Amino acid sequence: MSTAECLRDIMETDIMDYMHVDHPYNEKELWKMKHATPARIGIGHCGPRYTTEAELRFLASHAAANDAVYNEVPKETVRKLGVFEVQTKCADKNEMLLRPDWGRVFLPDAQKKISENCIHHPQVQIYFGDGLCSPSIEANIPDLFPTIKMGLEDKGITVGTPFFVRYCRVNTARTIGPLLDAKVTCVLIGERPGLLTSESMSAYIAYNARPDMLESEYTVVSNISRHGIPPVEAAAHIVDLIAQILEKKKSGVEFSNAS
Amino acid sequence: MQTEEILSAGIDIGTSTTQLVFSRMVLQNTGGFGKIPQIRVVSKEVIYRSQVYFTPLLSREEIDGKWVDQIIKKEYRKAGIKPTDLSTGAVIITGETSRKKNAEDVVEAIADVAGDFVMATAGADLESVLAGKGAGAAELSRKTEKVVANLDIGGGTTNICLFENGNVLDTACFDIGGRLVKISDGKITYIAPKISWLSEKLGLEITEGQKADVQKLKILTDAMAEILAKAMGLEDKEEGSSDIDRANVYIEKMKTNHGITCEKRPELFTFSGGVASCFEEIGDIFRYGDIGVLLAQSILESDFFQQGNVRKAKETMRATVIGAGNYSMNISGSTIEYTEDTFPLKNIPVVKLNLEQETDITDLDEKLHRAMQIYHESRGEGRQIALAMKGLKCPTFAQIQEIAEKLAAQYEKENSPDNALIIVLEEDIGKALGQALHHRIKNRRKIICIDGIYCESGDFIDLGEPIVSGKVIPVIVKTLIFNG
Repeated sequence: MSTAECLRDIMETDIMDYMHVDHPYNEKELWKMKHATPARIGIGHCGPRYTTEAELRFLASHAAANDAVYNEVPKETVRKLGVFEVQTKCADKNEMLLRPDWGRVFLPDAQKKISENCIHHPQVQIYFGDGLCSPSIEANIPDLFPTIKMGLEDKGITVGTPFFVRYCRVNTARTIGPLLDAKVTCVLIGERPGLLTSESMSAYIAYNARPDMLESEYTVVSNISRHGIPPVEAAAHIVDLIAQILEKKKSGVEFSNAS
Repeated sequence: MQTEEILSAGIDIGTSTTQLVFSRMVLQNTGGFGKIPQIRVVSKEVIYRSQVYFTPLLSREEIDGKWVDQIIKKEYRKAGIKPTDLSTGAVIITGETSRKKNAEDVVEAIADVAGDFVMATAGADLESVLAGKGAGAAELSRKTEKVVANLDIGGGTTNICLFENGNVLDTACFDIGGRLVKISDGKITYIAPKISWLSEKLGLEITEGQKADVQKLKILTDAMAEILAKAMGLEDKEEGSSDIDRANVYIEKMKTNHGITCEKRPELFTFSGGVASCFEEIGDIFRYGDIGVLLAQSILESDFFQQGNVRKAKETMRATVIGAGNYSMNISGSTIEYTEDTFPLKNIPVVKLNLEQETDITDLDEKLHRAMQIYHESRGEGRQIALAMKGLKCPTFAQIQEIAEKLAAQYEKENSPDNALIIVLEEDIGKALGQALHHRIKNRRKIICIDGIYCESGDFIDLGEPIVSGKVIPVIVKTLIFNG
């Protein structure tokens, strides 16, 4: 098939610019609503069902979300970031999804590798994890991490050696923090994708991360992506958050209540 | 949820009346869990309205600063508000009065009693916008989806603002008002020069000292109403070309600075100002010692009400002062960078640089150099300016660094270290760019880098003391040009 005969890529049009309503009572007002939300409104219907294009769009978004979870972060991406890689106890993606507890811990070899390759006792240890969204690493880290690092160093805060954790869950921080003796541990990790974006990332930040810490001790910045909070602006905000967390010596709910 | 209440003051010293209001605004972090902060004004409420005073004048050209000072002090006492309680607000010297020679002195004088809040010495355009917002025209345009024009007819001028979807489309101002002819004891004691010209053109022979003739003056106010109607695009049914030509000459002569230039015609009209508050008055036509009530009658009989679709304004008499109190302030984005102890900054001229897409970065230093050159040639060197840019939607780390590098290096070359580097962006990248600038400039110079604010070359901005735990800055953009 030549290019001219190729089917139209329906995903080229953003959902906010896609409307399919026959004879709208007030099209102008409907467009205003469309442009106010990425939710699937004004997509029309055929009897009780979606129209074909709306259905295909739903499937396409769902497929992208699935891919984001199941795909691997390419070795090449990690190499380009210039960091070393370790793996949690999970042997593969399936295991990671089936055994969340293994995604939080490392085998001795991996721990040794982290310990040997990183500086110890940094004020802040930052590392990256694939989490439930592999594309988020390539999409955000190149802008997110250098901005955080430069901002922290300008404030005179020492930043540890960054690395990448494959099959990573947030609570790896409970191991990494004590292992490298970091005051603040910050994991930049892929978010469970929805139907809107499949490259969002969160930052989980903990003061004095340790195995028996509470979930409520994490300070979170979520929705970091070009569709949400721009990575560079999120990074600048994270810089201030980490500086304040170091100053107040607490994170999470207690930190929010204190500020 | 993090909320903070702030107080705002609006002071309006008009051609005929002086008023003051205090408003309470509630700001709230609407960002929610895990989000970066997003401070918004969630409610505005006028909590105190002063009585309406006649503006004290020493002579026709001079406002009695001492009297204004006393009025303000008295009203602050009555309201139980101290100048230090205020976070923001605007003082506006409106209409004909602002052309009077001591207006600047008065603004300066009352700054001490009124509070060190953000302050605007308005031009006719800003006054038109604030009056329109205070009258509820902006809101009406959003609700009805129609182009709404508010005409604020005061003592000295008629300030017009066109809104669409809540946004300003255009502004205009005419020297048409209720107090341009003054009457005392049945005699005419004053005629403004332009009105004198108009009455001559109409063949009316109205002069100072003459007995006030209602019929003659009504012909005059009818003409004033007609000029406004024509200026707003309302046309006579039985039009003759000579009439149109004549109308255009009148419109040209009566405008304060400029007329309406945008092509959209208003679909709805609202009226505010002292004259609009006379719409329902009956009784002695000259009881205010001017032609305000007559002009109100003429407007009611004019094409506005015959052909146009007129809606009642939310506020009439107090539209401008409420506009000044409630609508003059914007707040910056909530992730911004600034050097502490730099505020307030007032009347900073804006120089806009074109930065809307990636390719605009390449010659950003060159653009800054040219813009500064043009500014220096027209305004002289050494003055503090603010650099406005749209900014990129989602810039990369490298792009932010390049922007910071070019701006920092070039600004250093052209400015003394006393001048702060003030950057005003639209896109939400203020904090990132601010930190990148700080990386280069360190503490050699004060840096302010805010976002969420739109302004253009030729505007002036006021930056108030940071509020809501220092997260946001109140900003007043004094836009002088709306056309285009």
